[in-house]
Amino acid sequence: MTDAKSRIDETVKANDVVLYMKGTKEMPQCGFSSRVAGVLNYMGVAFKDVNVLADDEIRQGIKDYSDWPTIPQLYVKGEFVGGCDIITEMTLSGELDTLFEENGVAYDKDAADKIRAANA
Amino acid sequence: MPITEEMRARLQAAFAPTELEISDDSERHRGHAGYREGGESHFSVHIRAAAFAGMGRVARHRAVHAALGDIVPRIHALALDIGT
Repeated sequence: MTDAKSRIDETVKANDVVLYMKGTKEMPQCGFSSRVAGVLNYMGVAFKDVNVLADDEIRQGIKDYSDWPTIPQLYVKGEFVGGCDIITEMTLSGELDTLFEENGVAYDKDAADKIRAANA
Repeated sequence: MPITEEMRARLQAAFAPTELEISDDSERHRGHAGYREGGESHFSVHIRAAAFAGMGRVARHRAVHAALGDIVPRIHALALDIGT
């Protein structure tokens, strides 16, 4: 296992919810990263953010790790869930709620419902 | 050939879609990260094909990424709306 791969492996297994993104959750630097971080923040989900712009090895390594060419990338309990389009779709369909429930991740259901109502 | 046309040809060949719309959204991202003069940086694809039946969301995206091949690393952003 390469150094980048073992570092990623450690991070996604040590944290229930991890978002690899451009920028930080307080200061996203890309619209797609911003959207996913915004959903998680709004839903009150505790998550670890990893800024790929601050680490070239991770920026490439995360694409190899998941065999996924783009950022952001969301991981729950060590499993790759998807990027911006998938997380948006899963938020609106309620699948993200189910995923969090199945994995014992705390989130604000009312906030999730508000996102859905605003996008109905 | 414009990248949208290259994408269209590869997606047609791979999935025989019933619906396929590709747009170059680069101008909407002028001034943002990844924008470059002349566009061809940000794209969105709407595709519907029977070939995606039985595949999960991640698998569908991976199939589209695979069909687009070396186009993916050449562009900055690709928004996908995939269905059957």
